[in-house]
Amino acid sequence: MTASAIIALAAAIAIALSTLGPGIGQGLAAAKAMEAIARQPEAAGTIRTNMIVALAMMEALTIYGLVIAFMLIGKM
Amino acid sequence: MTLHEANVLFSIGPLEVTKTVVSMWVLVLVLALLSFLATRKLKAVPGKLQNAAEMAVESLQGFFGGILGKENAKRYFPLLGTFFVFIVVSNYSSLLPGAGSVFAVPTTSLSVTAALAAISFVVVQEESIRHQGVGGYLKSLMQPMFLCVLMLPLNLIEQAVHPVSLALRLYGNLYGEELAAEQLGGLAAIGLPIVMHVLSLLFCLIQAMVFTLLVSIYLTEALGEED
Repeated sequence: MTASAIIALAAAIAIALSTLGPGIGQGLAAAKAMEAIARQPEAAGTIRTNMIVALAMMEALTIYGLVIAFMLIGKM
Repeated sequence: MTLHEANVLFSIGPLEVTKTVVSMWVLVLVLALLSFLATRKLKAVPGKLQNAAEMAVESLQGFFGGILGKENAKRYFPLLGTFFVFIVVSNYSSLLPGAGSVFAVPTTSLSVTAALAAISFVVVQEESIRHQGVGGYLKSLMQPMFLCVLMLPLNLIEQAVHPVSLALRLYGNLYGEELAAEQLGGLAAIGLPIVMHVLSLLFCLIQAMVFTLLVSIYLTEALGEED
């Protein structure tokens, strides 16, 4: 394999793996938040804000992977 | 990087003025003009523009008030409101025709988001020291006290990671969105990019919300436990 082929693979693996964990985590968090809103619709506003913050925290992990992928592609 | 070289329009001495900088100037001019027009003749019964501006300010204050409390929300509103308006406008500018080619979307540049994050970092640390005093600030870095030796480096790292994650999140989301829209445009120039643009209508607002929300959460932490 040439160097650029390895870099391309590495970038793909970086973003693919870094979406897996946060994807599962965000799904769990969103599901629980939906449940909470269904059970207590009057608290929907606060739950939504907190859910967005929690999702953003998890999203950061994916974004780190994305940034690494960009950096790797920049080295090609 | 080559991307940076291509973006340089002209230089003043050693300072290179890039497309991003000029785009930001235009955004700032538009925002300043709009707010000047909206607040030029304030009336008890507001006109259309003043009404819109009042609504924006009130809803933003309510939004931050939910996290910071009413008093603090008012105190930090100039900073947080400016962040929100600037990020929202520059995010939505990515939906205009010519984004990325004729002009650059400011938030797709890591330098811009890093600057915003650096501002928030300085403000958070400064407010923390002002509210808790130097001793209280040092103590807050060693919370939970019984593990102070262990927790000090962890808390220091946490404080340093906050601005980095703020900057990377905003940059990564916007840049990734732009790249994805470009790739879809390459597949089928008519139709497919619309899918991405509809999604960005939502994501642009959420990203601005998340950025300011996190800054205000860091601020509440910095102000100590009393509120």
